[in-house]
Amino acid sequence: MNRIIAVHSYKGGTGKTLLSVNLAATFAKNGRKVCVFDLDFRAPSLFAILKAENAEYWCNDYLNNVVEIDKVLVNLSSRVSGNGKFYAALANPATEAMRDMSSKDRKWEMRALGRLLALRESLLKEEKFDYLFFDTSPGLQYSSINAIVASDLVIVATTGDRSDVDGTKRMLQELYNLFEKKTVLVLNKVLDASATARKAEMSAKVKDVYQVPMLGIVPCFCEVLRAEGNFLFPQDKPDHPFTKVLSEMARKIENDEAN
Amino acid sequence: MYCAFVILNKHVKEIVDVQNKFGGLVIRDPMSTRRPISILEKIEESLERLNEKMEVIIEIQKNSADSQRSAVALPDASLDVMTLLSMPDHLRKTAMAICRCGKATADEIAGQTNRARAVESAYLNQLVLMSYLKKERKGRKAYFFVDNETRS
Repeated sequence: MNRIIAVHSYKGGTGKTLLSVNLAATFAKNGRKVCVFDLDFRAPSLFAILKAENAEYWCNDYLNNVVEIDKVLVNLSSRVSGNGKFYAALANPATEAMRDMSSKDRKWEMRALGRLLALRESLLKEEKFDYLFFDTSPGLQYSSINAIVASDLVIVATTGDRSDVDGTKRMLQELYNLFEKKTVLVLNKVLDASATARKAEMSAKVKDVYQVPMLGIVPCFCEVLRAEGNFLFPQDKPDHPFTKVLSEMARKIENDEAN
Repeated sequence: MYCAFVILNKHVKEIVDVQNKFGGLVIRDPMSTRRPISILEKIEESLERLNEKMEVIIEIQKNSADSQRSAVALPDASLDVMTLLSMPDHLRKTAMAICRCGKATADEIAGQTNRARAVESAYLNQLVLMSYLKKERKGRKAYFFVDNETRS
């Protein structure tokens, strides 16, 4: 079962955070106990999307071995209907914290990997979480690679942009493959993706280019851009096509059937 | 029946010779003191041990170029993800398994990597030589781990 899921990309702006938050919310709405982690310490954004700016402790504190993970988790279950549980572990948006995280040495990063790996015991085994989502920094960053190594499944968010396609291909060969990580792809911001024929064509092209299974195709929705991260789509827009795409992705992850 | 007995006896002697060469267990005059079943069990056990040793030799020879290149002990070695990325594939697999386990025997690592225990033992000892891992003995078992002192 893929219980720790890292969401990564080669370039920024591919929709990792939006995908992580809304996919986690989809699982929570389906009755699962989930937590989404902001591991993008260079540009924290989850606190703003989830409007949880007054956290007492941050992911930074957990990785710095200042507190244990229970002090970091923010309970946002009231934002999602049903019996599921929705938590977030936020990255500190203070400039000083960002500077501190960017100046860590290799030994600290090794220890940080140990702390991420320990979440399997503390959250999955002891606290009975069903899924942990790691929202990562784009590209080849220590924090992102730590998240990838600690995860069971990597979701790679990509767009049709030429430089993103080339970079993503390289990352698949030189990063995920080396770590023997199970990887699936989400093609985001696709124009004219509503037609079934277009979807099939895109899907075949992705399989051919990247040689990895496809988790889903997300059309370019003006409403998603206009929402500016203000909605949890599964909760606030249950009938929106984006919510339906998310539900289908969640179903594939649950049944381990991305293809 | 006599023919089968002669062939079996010859086979046992061959095994004993091979074992002598590899420093294994020596069976003296096996046919006079033991029943055929127990001798066959010994042969099976010995063949398994020989197979295991052959697997290690093959595996190490296969990766000898990579191993020699990477077997240099580093003064400030840390098992971080960039180090993992730069390792040869066969060592990375072992190193990642020990990262996940924290502390483990070669047998436990072999359970994760689906390689022979003896192969994992060789790789783990190589990682110890390279200063990435520490090793401690508890009774007959050897435990490998990423050093906490180094980690902090």
